[in-house]
Amino acid sequence: MTPMDRRRFLKVTAITGTSAALARCGNPEHQIIRFVPEEELTPGIAVWKPSVCPLCNAGCGVLARVMDGDAEVFRNGEAGVTRMGLPRKLEGDPAHGVSQGRLCVRGQAALQVTYHPDRLASPRRRVGERGSGAFEDITWDAALTELIGRLDTLVEAGNAGQIAFIGRPRRGRRAELVAEFLRRIGAPAPVAFEFFDDAVIRRANELSFGRYQLPTIDLARTHYLIGFGADFLGTWNSPVAHGAAYGRMRQGQPGTVTKFVQVEPRMSQTGASANEWVAVPPGTEGVVALGLAHVIMRDGLRPASAAGRAGAMVEGFAQGLAAFAPADVERYTGITPARIERLAREFAANGPAVAVIGGPALAHTNGLAQALAVNALNALVGSVDVPGGVLFTPTEVAPVGPPRSLREVVGGAAAPQLLLLDEANPVYASPPGWHVADLLQRVPFIVSFGAFVDETSVLADLLLPDHSFLESWTESSPESGSADAANATAPPAMHPLYDTRSMPDVLLDVARRLQRPLDPPLPWQTFDEMVQAPTTVPAMPAAPSRAPDTPRAWADARFDGEAGTYPFHFLPYASQALLDGSLAHLPWLQELPDPLTTAMWSAWVEINPGTAERLGIAEGDMVEITSAHGSVRAPAVISPGIGPTAVAMPAGQGHDTFTRYASGRGANPVHVLAPLDEPETGALAWSATRVRIARVGAADGSLILFAGATRERPDHHGRG
Amino acid sequence: MAYRWGMVVDLDRCTGCEACVTACHAENNLPTVGADEAARGRAMHWIRVERYWEGEFPDVRVKFRPVLCQQCGNAPCEAVCPTYASHQNEDGLNAQVYNRCIGTRYCGNACMYNVRFFNFFHPQWEKPLQLQLNPDVSLRESGVMEKCTFCVQRIKAAKSAAKAEDRAIADGSLQPACAQACPAGALVFGDLNDPESRVARLSASPRGSKLLEDLGAEPKITYLHRQGWHESNA
Repeated sequence: MTPMDRRRFLKVTAITGTSAALARCGNPEHQIIRFVPEEELTPGIAVWKPSVCPLCNAGCGVLARVMDGDAEVFRNGEAGVTRMGLPRKLEGDPAHGVSQGRLCVRGQAALQVTYHPDRLASPRRRVGERGSGAFEDITWDAALTELIGRLDTLVEAGNAGQIAFIGRPRRGRRAELVAEFLRRIGAPAPVAFEFFDDAVIRRANELSFGRYQLPTIDLARTHYLIGFGADFLGTWNSPVAHGAAYGRMRQGQPGTVTKFVQVEPRMSQTGASANEWVAVPPGTEGVVALGLAHVIMRDGLRPASAAGRAGAMVEGFAQGLAAFAPADVERYTGITPARIERLAREFAANGPAVAVIGGPALAHTNGLAQALAVNALNALVGSVDVPGGVLFTPTEVAPVGPPRSLREVVGGAAAPQLLLLDEANPVYASPPGWHVADLLQRVPFIVSFGAFVDETSVLADLLLPDHSFLESWTESSPESGSADAANATAPPAMHPLYDTRSMPDVLLDVARRLQRPLDPPLPWQTFDEMVQAPTTVPAMPAAPSRAPDTPRAWADARFDGEAGTYPFHFLPYASQALLDGSLAHLPWLQELPDPLTTAMWSAWVEINPGTAERLGIAEGDMVEITSAHGSVRAPAVISPGIGPTAVAMPAGQGHDTFTRYASGRGANPVHVLAPLDEPETGALAWSATRVRIARVGAADGSLILFAGATRERPDHHGRG
Repeated sequence: MAYRWGMVVDLDRCTGCEACVTACHAENNLPTVGADEAARGRAMHWIRVERYWEGEFPDVRVKFRPVLCQQCGNAPCEAVCPTYASHQNEDGLNAQVYNRCIGTRYCGNACMYNVRFFNFFHPQWEKPLQLQLNPDVSLRESGVMEKCTFCVQRIKAAKSAAKAEDRAIADGSLQPACAQACPAGALVFGDLNDPESRVARLSASPRGSKLLEDLGAEPKITYLHRQGWHESNA
C-alpha cells in the first residue's frame, strides 16, 4: 500500500474536496458564484497600501496591511465570492507628518468600518413609515433618477435655495467638491455638524492670531505646559501627533525635566498625566489664565505689550488685568493666591512654556472669552509661532469654515425641500431644545450617503451608501498636528466589497445629468481626477489677516437651571473609545476598557465619593440625571476625579438606531442638555447644564467593568 | 547568537490612551466576547492599562500602568502546566502551545500578573468581520488558554528574513503591535542580549523597576517610573 505521505494526503483531500463541492452544485440553495479574481496577489504575502483614517478631523495617514483572502462580494447585481486583497491591519504611516507611524485606539479600529456586518451593501428606498427603518433594495439607476428628478424640479422652480446639505466638519477635496456643487446649483453652503465642535477655538485664534484654525502645540520642545480642560492626548484636536510630541516632551529632551499642569473640573484622561492637577469650577478656567497673566505683568516678568494683538483682544489686558488679582481668582476658583503666584512664576521662568485650552473649557457661554484669555497668556510669554509654543500648520483656507451652523437650517421658518446627509448624525447629537427630529420630519425628501443606518439616516427616503474609506480615494490636508504641511492623497486600498458608490463620484455624476447644467460646470469628471488636480481653495496667507477688532470683556459662564433645584454641574465628555458616539458601532471600541473606569459596553455617571455617600449611591447603582430639558438613567461610577458639585458622563452610548452593537445600549447625555450657546459663534455650550441626581435602583448589571488587574498592588512592592 | 526579547514601559511617556489595546486585538485575532460575557469577567485583553488613583479630590493623581505578559525567566505559569503547553522557548518567551493546552487553567491561577485569558467559548466573528483576521496568527478554540506572545508571528518573520540575508535582526526594526501603535513611544521592544539595543540601555535606567520583582519570577519587562518635577531641576 502507498504510504500516506504529505503529497498523497494533499492529492486525496483535493479530489474528495472537489467532489464534495460538485455534489453541492446540484442543490441550488448551495450554489456559490465564484468571480474571477480582480487582482494578482501572492498568497500569504502582505503588501502595504496607504490611506487616510476618516474617523476624526486629525487626518492621520495610515498604511493598510493587505493580504489575499476570500470575500463575499456583490458584482453586477449578483452575490458571490472572490479572491481579493483585504486590508487586515492598519498602522500609522511613518512618512506622514501627523501620524508619524503611530495610530490611536480609534484609528486601529477603523478597519471594522469596512467589515461591519451591518454596513449598507446597496442603495435602498424607504418603504415604511418615515423612521420605521423599513427599506427595500433599489438599483443605482432608479435611485439616481429619483434624486436627479427632484433636484431638477427644485432648480426649475427657482427653489434651489431650499436644498440643504449636512455633513461633518471635514477638510479637503471632498468638502471642496460638496461646497462647489452646492454653490453652482444655487444652494446654500453646506452645514458642518459635529457635537464636539471646534468653532470657538478657531474663532478665538482668528481674533488673537489671525488664524481661523486649530492650534498645534509644539510639545516636543516645551518645558512647561498648562492645559485648560484640553484632552489633547485623548480625544481632542490631533491626539496621535500630540501624543507623539508628549512622549518627546517627557523623555526626549535630555537634561530637562518637564512639568505639566492641568486645570479642569473633572479629571480627563489627559489630565491624569499631569504633574499637578488643579480643580476649578466649570467655566472659570479662563480666570486662572487671566490670573497668571496678571501676576506675570504685575511682577514685571513680562510687559503687557508683549502680548500684542492677542492681549488687545482681552479687555483690561493693557492695564494689567487689575480685576484678576490672585484674591479675585480665589473667589472664582477656590485656588489659593499662593498657588496662583507660584504657578505664574513657574510658567514665566521655565520657557518654552505653553498653555492650551480645548474641549469642555470652551463649551460654555463664555467659551470665547476663556479661549482669548489663554491665547493672551501664550502671547504674553512669547509662545506663539516659536519652538515649544503654539504653531499653526500651513494649510489651505478651510473650505468649510466658518461653516453654516445646523441651527441656521433648524431655526429657519421653512424646512428645506431636499436634504442631503453625509454621515452627520444631528438627531442623536443635538440637544432636545433644537427639535432636529421634528424638523427633519417636515423635510419632504432626505437622501443619506452614510454607510450605516443611524438615528438621522433612518429618516431618509433614499440611502445611497458610500464606499468605505479603504475602498475610496482618500485625502487630507490636516489643520493641525504638524509644523509643516502634511497633506496626503491615496488611491483605494482595496476593491469595493458591495454595490456601493463613492459619494463624490455620485455628486459628479448627478451634476452631469441635471437638466440645467451647473454654471459653470464642475471641472472634474471623477473624484480621482479631482484629487490629483490642484485645489481651487486658496492657501492660508503667510501673513495672517489682522482685521481690527474690539476687545472682548470677560463674562462669567451662564448655566441653565436654578442651583437650588439643579445643584450639580453636568459635564459630558468625549469618550476615549466612542468619541461623540459616531464610533459606537465598532465592537473593538465597545469592548475597550475606558482608561479611567475600565467600563466596557456601558454608559455611566461619574460621582464624587462624598456625594455618593451622602446620596446613598453605591457603585453600579442606577441613578437618574434630570435637567430642565430631560432625564437619562445610567449606572454610577464612584470617581475621585470629580468634585462634589458636579457629575460627568461620557458621550457615545444611548443609540436608538445604530447597528447591532450600539443600538439600545446605555444612555445618551445629550438628552438632558440645554440649548445654550456661545453667542458669537453659536457653538453649543454643552458644559452649561445643571442637573439634579437621584438613585433610582440597585445595580442592574449594565455597568460592565474589566475584571483583569494585577493581583497585588504593584507599588506596594517597592517602587511604583 | 540567541535573542532574549524584552520590553521597557516608560511610565513618564504613557498617557493611558490604550492604542496598544486595540492594536493587539487587531494583530492577534483576539475575540470580542460581547457585553454578556464581558460582564462575567471573560473579556480578553492581552495588554491592559491599569490605573491607580492616589489622594482625594481635589488633590488627586492617577498612575497608568500598561500590563501585559512579563515573559518571566522563572515563570510560575510554566511550572504548573501538566502538558508543557506553557513553556520557555529558545528566545526566552513564555510560549503557549495551543494544541497541547487541555484547559486546566493552572497557569492562569499561578500568574500574579493576571495576563492569561481562557477561551470559554469558540471565538466568533459575525460575518464579514472574519475578513479582519490576521492570517499569520492562529485562532484559539474553546478550552484553550491564551496570552501575549510579544507578537511571535512578527518575530518569526523577522528571524527568517534575517536568516535568509545572513544578518541579525536590526534593533528597532521589529516591534510588537502595541509598541508600533503607541503614539507616545512608551513601549520599547528589543533584544536584551544586545547591550547596544535601546531596550537593553533603557532597562538599566535608574528609573527602572520590575513588576512585583520580589516574587522572583524574573520578568523581562522593565517599568521606568515617572520623573518628578521640582522647581530646582527645571
